[in-house]
Amino acid sequence: MTTNYLEVVAINSHASIQDLGRVHSQHLGFSASGAADEYAFLSANKLIAEHRHSLNPKKSQLNCAAIEITLGQISFQAHGDCLIAITGADCQAKINNLAVSNWQCLQLNAGDIIEFTMPKAGLHSYLAIAGGVQLQENQQPWLGSFSQTTNEVALGFSGKPLTKASKVYFKPAAFITSELTNAATSVIPNSQMSKPIPQQFYATQTLTLRFIASPLFLKMTAAMQKQWLSSSYSISADSNRMGYRLHLQNPDNTSTNKPILSGVLRASCRLSKPVCYGMIQLPANEEPIILMKERQTMGGYPVLGTVMTTDLFRLSQMRPGAKVNFSIINVQQAQQQLRAFYQRFS
Amino acid sequence: MLDTAIDTMANIESKLSQLPFSIEIVAENALLLNWPQEIAIAQHNQIIALQILLNKQLPNLIIDAIASYHSLMIYYDFNIVNTEQIIRQIVELFSTNTQHGNLENKQNSTDIIEIPVYYDHEHIWDLYSVAKQCQMTANEVIKLHSSTTYRSYALGFTPGFCYLASLPKALQLARKSSPRTKVPKGAVAIAEQQTAIYPNESPGGWHIIGQTPLPMYQALSNKFTPTIAIGQSVRFNAISKAEFLAFNEGKTQ
Repeated sequence: MTTNYLEVVAINSHASIQDLGRVHSQHLGFSASGAADEYAFLSANKLIAEHRHSLNPKKSQLNCAAIEITLGQISFQAHGDCLIAITGADCQAKINNLAVSNWQCLQLNAGDIIEFTMPKAGLHSYLAIAGGVQLQENQQPWLGSFSQTTNEVALGFSGKPLTKASKVYFKPAAFITSELTNAATSVIPNSQMSKPIPQQFYATQTLTLRFIASPLFLKMTAAMQKQWLSSSYSISADSNRMGYRLHLQNPDNTSTNKPILSGVLRASCRLSKPVCYGMIQLPANEEPIILMKERQTMGGYPVLGTVMTTDLFRLSQMRPGAKVNFSIINVQQAQQQLRAFYQRFS
Repeated sequence: MLDTAIDTMANIESKLSQLPFSIEIVAENALLLNWPQEIAIAQHNQIIALQILLNKQLPNLIIDAIASYHSLMIYYDFNIVNTEQIIRQIVELFSTNTQHGNLENKQNSTDIIEIPVYYDHEHIWDLYSVAKQCQMTANEVIKLHSSTTYRSYALGFTPGFCYLASLPKALQLARKSSPRTKVPKGAVAIAEQQTAIYPNESPGGWHIIGQTPLPMYQALSNKFTPTIAIGQSVRFNAISKAEFLAFNEGKTQ
């Protein structure tokens, strides 16, 4: 049996293997990790699943590991034929120097070179392959997931970071479905399928992060709550897959001299607690940190609330300097949004 | 039927007010149970007993349950149960098992894990600055640190990292003002009321007072077993440089 893989021929950015994350092992201290933007990740897998069939829209494709590319600037050579999909930040991808569209299913043939440039907007792009990808042949998921976590690379459970000459393995096309064997290199028309409409999902200007308020937030004075809700923040340059740090936008405003969190309330948070995706931490410098996919499992900073999940997918594509603000949502509304989100992909 | 439903709700309401913890809805799929903010063995036993019960009794609903000093984070499958239903199930489970005494202190006190430590006699890390800040000698720091029995209250930060408490008051210091970018594997460190061992090289802001040659976890065929389990008792045991080196040699043979 021949070995099928994509080889990294050039990389000037960060890329990692991601699926929906290691969600059952946070009690052991493992980060949940997973695709930063599930909208783009799931869209890529759904494009493949729907193309492959109509006949057999296998649910299993949806959590298949894919390559998450942060800020483009990577190219691969195909060793073996495969069906791929590219989504997320638009890297003006080219196959053998011919431009191809984003949010699209494509055929790669052995020898083809696919190249991603730096996107003009957004951060993360996804390259999914039918049947998923692995860093070693017959690699088994570690604790239920292939996701890579920067802080856990040294443990060696989910492969090395992608560098030049790394190989990303995939299953032979014949294993997946026989229909691909005669396909030519071309955009595959997917006529009756529900195409993703990214412009309806992502924020174009300021993103309002809807959050579930914590009991601590509810103990703040009305004035301080109002100040938090009326402030605008910009995303700081030291944001990453672990957390997004925010700077206050208009700090010369006179009302901002007072801390948002009083000393008494701050002092009431003494011991570390488990933390979850989207929690808004407020360290003593009052520059909020929003916990993202590669967050650690425990945290000691006061928590004002949790940003709803679908807004976190939107946030994950926003670059340093982009603006956000906050508004309150209740858990039922957040759940409704998240249920509707996942229904699109089921 | 309706009456029964109302009765059940009233039941839950009255039970909620009697619980030793509050229930915080933190996310679409997560609840955070908060006990009083203190480091207390009986309370912690109750938290880990509930954690085990949830995993055992509601395996289809619970995605993960993470315990710490005074909290239990519960991730559940919100596609199967709604928030109200899961809260009801947790409360029922807790109440029933409290009545039957299943959440009582069942600590096996004989089960103490010994961690060998080569303390920082070589002035590489923070032993001497800790001694200075605590106004005692390095040997007094070692003696205090190694004569206390600790309990493992939480696993987190990195895989296999255990928060152990409580450190003797005389050794309690704030975290370092600027964290190190690299802390060695096996570093034994202290901060505030806690002590811990770094399972792998990682960044870290605690004061390092020594190093253990003992691995902090075992990973075999997709199973990760931390050396120290939550709720377990731990003691540190001073060893010489020769013993430290011999331990590592023994491992490679």
